[in-house]
Amino acid sequence: MPAKTCSVTRTVTELKHTIDAGRLQNPRSRRIAEEILQLLNDIAWGRAGDRHIPAIASLADELAYDEADAAAMETAAYLHDAVDHNREVFVSHIKTHNCSTGDCVKLAPAPCQMTCPAGLDIPTYVTLIGMGRDAEAIDVIRRDCPFPWVCGLVCTRPCEFMCVRARIDTPISIKFLKGFAAERAMSEGSYRNPEKAPDKGQKVCVIGAGPGGMSAAYYLILKGYGVRVIEQHPTAGGMLLLGIPRYRLPREIIDREVAMLTDLGVEFRFNTRFGQDATLADLKGEGFDAFFFAIGAHQAFKLGIPGEEGCPQVLEAIAFLRRVALGDRTVPGKTVVVIGGGNVAIDAARTCLRLGCREVTLAYRRARTEMPADREEVEQAEEEGIRFAFLTIPIEVAKNNGGIDGLRCLRAELVKMEGQDRKYPKPIEGSEFLLAADVVISAIGQKVDNTCMTEVNGLDWTRRNTIQVNTATMETSRAGVFAAGDAVTGPATVIEAIGGGKRAAESIDRYLSGIPQPSMPRVPVRRGRIDWLEVPASTKMTLKRPDMPLLNLDRRRTTFQQVELGYPENAVREEARRCLRCDICLRCGKCVEICRDKMGVNALQMGYFDFDHPVKTDFRITAERCIACGACAANCPTGAMRMEDRGHERVLSLCGTILNRQKLLTCEDCGAVLGPARYIEFVRKRTKTVARAAGARALCDACSRHASAKITTDNLPSQSK
Amino acid sequence: MVFRRGQRVEIYRRSGDESWEAYMDEYVGLHGLITDPDNTINDPDALVEVSLVGKGTHRFPQDCLRLLED
Repeated sequence: MPAKTCSVTRTVTELKHTIDAGRLQNPRSRRIAEEILQLLNDIAWGRAGDRHIPAIASLADELAYDEADAAAMETAAYLHDAVDHNREVFVSHIKTHNCSTGDCVKLAPAPCQMTCPAGLDIPTYVTLIGMGRDAEAIDVIRRDCPFPWVCGLVCTRPCEFMCVRARIDTPISIKFLKGFAAERAMSEGSYRNPEKAPDKGQKVCVIGAGPGGMSAAYYLILKGYGVRVIEQHPTAGGMLLLGIPRYRLPREIIDREVAMLTDLGVEFRFNTRFGQDATLADLKGEGFDAFFFAIGAHQAFKLGIPGEEGCPQVLEAIAFLRRVALGDRTVPGKTVVVIGGGNVAIDAARTCLRLGCREVTLAYRRARTEMPADREEVEQAEEEGIRFAFLTIPIEVAKNNGGIDGLRCLRAELVKMEGQDRKYPKPIEGSEFLLAADVVISAIGQKVDNTCMTEVNGLDWTRRNTIQVNTATMETSRAGVFAAGDAVTGPATVIEAIGGGKRAAESIDRYLSGIPQPSMPRVPVRRGRIDWLEVPASTKMTLKRPDMPLLNLDRRRTTFQQVELGYPENAVREEARRCLRCDICLRCGKCVEICRDKMGVNALQMGYFDFDHPVKTDFRITAERCIACGACAANCPTGAMRMEDRGHERVLSLCGTILNRQKLLTCEDCGAVLGPARYIEFVRKRTKTVARAAGARALCDACSRHASAKITTDNLPSQSK
Repeated sequence: MVFRRGQRVEIYRRSGDESWEAYMDEYVGLHGLITDPDNTINDPDALVEVSLVGKGTHRFPQDCLRLLED
């Protein structure tokens, strides 16, 4: 279990207390302690380098120079002890810019990054994209996900669900920004592989060339291992290629990103089925030191209704999509009914339409609002002419001579069951009807096909028929065997498989290097500390998430061309400016409290700070009320709120959002900066009973005193001179 | 599928399910969002993906989750 408090923060706090309490009386000791404190703060704020820890040790030695100075000796001993006992934590702060406890506030990952199953550093790459630095953005993404282009098109984007901007209006379009940057970088030739570590002389075999398997392969080869990927199909991609239709994810995109792995030296063996063409014993004989299974979940569930078994007109969606992906363009039938409400059902229905089926109906036993498929996918399917039969329960495939008449169904109503939050579809008696069709496609889910795994003895399986692993490490019950992806989670998402593959690669590295495995899942790592984009408050509030331009409907109905055409460049750069940079502002609310409760100004309307009860946010309000006192900035623990004088203006900003900009007044006599008029007025009102006003003149304190003094050097009586 | 994407939930208790791991004990009481429910067979026994505030994204059995009121 990780420490509840961060040892870096604890050391900073302890040393600061020692200095502030005046325990170090000797000026030299105090100076050295302050230098050490500075170095410790560098570590806590993510700006330290490799030389910081040796420098702290060396300064601690220096601090202990005088044996008579007991406080200095004690402090030096404490510092040596703190660094020696927590060296791993200190090094981790320096290397990863990450504090797993969140105590080092500047190093806490943003909610979007924490949400991403692969832990992508979203604020950093979104900002880089906003700056037009697409290739650098891709470098950042590929440190956690080898397939930014693929994910830019098909990710289920959990990050956008947690995006703090959604508490104001709509989430940042993270997925499409990533897709744009990847395409641009690939097009410009700046999409590049990182340097590989020197060869470690050990080999790992990956079984399955899907997103999980290939992610593990990518990170393992970068760590210096030899990697072979075994794949039963003739090409790489797994569900990316075989389960996602080309109008959502063109094959060329998968091929280009897979080619980056081949360039690194990953060896692919296609048309090789594990357990048949290659066994565990064979592979061990070839010298593989560890194995990673990412075999996916490719077996469809049966409908379990009469007429289904042995009927050639009843297809499994996943097999149907696979055939089409591998080049088969046979029209399944004129009138098709697809059963299911998930993304696979929508994919199958839209694929049928593109192959030339005249009428495609999607039958779902619940209501539209309950459909698990992505809302955009459902809307696009409807636009293309897919019909929906909601609250429809299939009961039988109605056969005729060698074919079928359709699907016999019952209407359903949603009823609430005792003790359940959610309504269930209950068949309505006597509501039977025939949904005419010459082909029925079943898309009610998949499971793991474990027939190829029978020879892997000692592997534990769950009651859900998935491979049992420790999810922190992806280790199975068998030493040296790891697993991730749908084979572990059941049918899940691309990004989850990628995250699992990456996590497994780290664990395989530890296993082969003899390093103990972690007991908790790793906290996502911040990949950079990039400056923010400056945006006026009004722009920040009025910029809207752009709509995705789509291919015209005729082509969508007739071809497999990519439907989502991508944002234009200006929309991408603008969208990035909506990001709130939650990696810098932690929404602790101190600024709001100080402004409202201590200053009585209440100029910060940041309703989005609260996860559970967000209320209205308007950055523009600040300019109306703010007196530019700077109390918010002075109390901000992360430096997100910043007050600075720029020329003749005082500017208040929150992560680059310009909240207030006020003209600075200067002293009429000496020209010193007085502050903005509102601030001066605020101070005058509160000090009018104790300070004499300088009339209408704008004077600094010194000049005001000078002007109001009864005797000055100018009017000093001559005898006193 | 008992839960839907985007719903706010609380891990309100430990689960006895085999998929509950020791490190998850620390998550009891935390709030989060459903990011990937069981999206295929509406199985109340399926593991659902939840993103916990400040603790990352994990799959949990449904019996340890409860919906938070808006």
